[in-house]
Amino acid sequence: MSHHLRPTTAPRPDRTATLLAVLLSILAFVVGTPAHAADAPAHFEPKRLVFHPDTEQLEVEVVNDGPAPLRIDGFELTGPERHAFAVAEGGDATTVPPGGRHRIALRVERGAFEAIDEATGRRTGKFREGRARLRVKLREAAGAGSATDQAIGLPLRFEAPSWVSAYLVPAVVKVLVLVMLFVMPLASLLTWLERKQSAMMQDRVGPNMAGVTILGKRIRVWGLLHIAADGLKMLFKEDLVPARVHKALYNLAPFLAFVPALAVFAIVPFGDALCYGQLGEVLSQADVDQCAAGRGGTPLQVAQIDVGLLFYFAIASLASYGTTLAGWASYNKWAMLGGLRASAQMISYEVAIGLSIVGALLCYGTLEPHALVKAQSETYWGIVLQPLGFLLFFAAAMAETKRTPFDLPEGESEIVGYFLEYSGMRFGLFFLGEFVEIVFMSAMVATLFLGGWTLPLDMFGASGFTSPLWAQLFFAGAGALLVLVGVSALRASPHAEIVGIVLTLIGAIHLALSAWSIFTGWGTALPHGLVIVVGMVTWGVKVALLCWLQLLVRWTLPRFRYDQLMKLGWRGLLPLAIANVVLTAVAVYFLMPGKDFLP
Amino acid sequence: MTIGVKEVKLERTAADQIFLPAILEGLVTTARHFFRNTFGKGQPGIDTIRYGEPDVRTEDYYPDRYRGVHRLMYREDGTVRCVACMCCSTVCPAKCIYIEAEDRHDDEEKAPRLFVIDELKCVVCGLCVEACPCDAIRMDTKTHMTAVETREEAVLSKIDLLKRGAPSVAVQGGLGPDYRKLQPDRDPRFPGA
Repeated sequence: MSHHLRPTTAPRPDRTATLLAVLLSILAFVVGTPAHAADAPAHFEPKRLVFHPDTEQLEVEVVNDGPAPLRIDGFELTGPERHAFAVAEGGDATTVPPGGRHRIALRVERGAFEAIDEATGRRTGKFREGRARLRVKLREAAGAGSATDQAIGLPLRFEAPSWVSAYLVPAVVKVLVLVMLFVMPLASLLTWLERKQSAMMQDRVGPNMAGVTILGKRIRVWGLLHIAADGLKMLFKEDLVPARVHKALYNLAPFLAFVPALAVFAIVPFGDALCYGQLGEVLSQADVDQCAAGRGGTPLQVAQIDVGLLFYFAIASLASYGTTLAGWASYNKWAMLGGLRASAQMISYEVAIGLSIVGALLCYGTLEPHALVKAQSETYWGIVLQPLGFLLFFAAAMAETKRTPFDLPEGESEIVGYFLEYSGMRFGLFFLGEFVEIVFMSAMVATLFLGGWTLPLDMFGASGFTSPLWAQLFFAGAGALLVLVGVSALRASPHAEIVGIVLTLIGAIHLALSAWSIFTGWGTALPHGLVIVVGMVTWGVKVALLCWLQLLVRWTLPRFRYDQLMKLGWRGLLPLAIANVVLTAVAVYFLMPGKDFLP
Repeated sequence: MTIGVKEVKLERTAADQIFLPAILEGLVTTARHFFRNTFGKGQPGIDTIRYGEPDVRTEDYYPDRYRGVHRLMYREDGTVRCVACMCCSTVCPAKCIYIEAEDRHDDEEKAPRLFVIDELKCVVCGLCVEACPCDAIRMDTKTHMTAVETREEAVLSKIDLLKRGAPSVAVQGGLGPDYRKLQPDRDPRFPGA
């Protein structure tokens, strides 16, 4: 009985052709970005050196790209500020074999840039900027007669960025990009996806009516605009405050539930690092590492703090105040009981969640998420080294987000919950906060156990794919998947024309890139901007898939009874987490390279 | 017969104890449904009637004997077929039909001056249609009684009922007690009666 469905109309060829032409021209621009300037026989890694007042000595490597050994004759500093810089190590004449590297250490005399107070003659601690250039004279050592002198230059820069330009402005921009362009859209999408996905899993239709009429054509992309309709509804609903609530705490509770869920995103790294002004260049890992340290760039993480994971636990445990206070301040015994259940559950599972990641910390030796991801890409992903830790963390994370099978605080179908007395956008904050927590837990699982923004098997580095074969495999696989999803979306639903066409087109572009790579070997030298985009998309896809998995679990498993919940937390997850810590500690002690340093 | 104690042991294997295999099994099942419904043609044998979709005629889905809102039929000359015999209002278990008769001035029949059905009282049993000897009242409109703001709006008058009506060519009043003889080929159950 499908005669009531509109037949899937084929896209009009003229519009599709225009779209294709535009996309192909964008593609040609990206692909056609010039790679290495191959005329020099060697290059520097990193391509430029940025000194800060607290980094007086930095290292740079000369990499021989040519087929012949290179003789380094000498170094020469040029530029107006050349006297402030000096070659500290590796300044002797030497020969670099083909493919070899020669390490040079450079020092800066930071006093040369420091302003001196004219009245008192004291140093003010304020620095100005300065630039110089290191020239390395090279000679091909092979042919004794053909002594063609060449030189390569390295820009040196001394910067003393203020706190505002080094931290505040990048942080604000990153917050806006991460929260406004990823977290909030994904969280509001989840409010719709939760209902739509459950419908798909239960052979129903689900929300599909909301849409917009553009130019007389009704566009209903699977009812995707329900998120806007729901948001508007929440905003315009009456905000009812019961008579005998504790006013201050009642108003505070929704924010305590929502704000920590957003604040913990500060430590989530969503990419490696962004190098200012080098988006079109092919960079090496050394460049990106320099930018990740904040010199000449910024790490793609709102706050790179050494105790990142402790910060997460500290902030995330504030969320249990939100639920408890909401229950207590509502002056309603059912809300109070819901708040009690919520606080007991969250505190129980916070113990397990904290212990479940200790194993990962032992393996990688850091609490800083950015470094954790780097360590994973250099060794193995957390899910390989810590499969039990992954399971425990995932289970405890689902309990932390208070969702089925752990939704005793507010089982929406039966049990009255802690936000019983809330209405309007106050309730909306609890509701949205739950989905933001889902996104965050997915991001944490991706960061701790699934390698963050990196691709597996060391297939993607700072300068692109590590071999053309990886590029071909990656683009062919991703393209085939996208085309498959797009075409099946086109065939399955009459409301998914646009999504289906776009997905199919993107997939076709991936396939074209794969074919392009087969013929030209393209893919190993990608511009920095594209590398960042690939990393961020990888991270986003991981997070989205984990969100999907959480929704799948939520609509598959029945709810625990309360004693079962506590039993699972204290007698199941906690002992397992402790066992995982002990086993990991023993394994790390005996297997870790360099264990001789341990007492 | 002796009364004994029957011990029932819950057999729990190690796989049951750690939940994970059963959880995975459930996830695979639900994920299979998800993918089949999202990217495929959907579950076979399950078709959702998309009420409320602008391009869907719900009438197409109803069986022919579906009982919807009442209507009153016309004669060929456009007058109401009902002869105010009160059969429908008598048989109605909900007493929702109210009829007042008047003269038709054709020396044959009566006609309803008032014919009122309270759709809020109606239990949609269809007995009025069964009882009607004139094919005057029918419930084959295949439409629901829509939601109304006031109770009065749900009380349908003769005019409302006739608006939904259509001409009926059935012989007025039936063929009488001798209908089997008069039209023997009409009812195959009684050949040559």
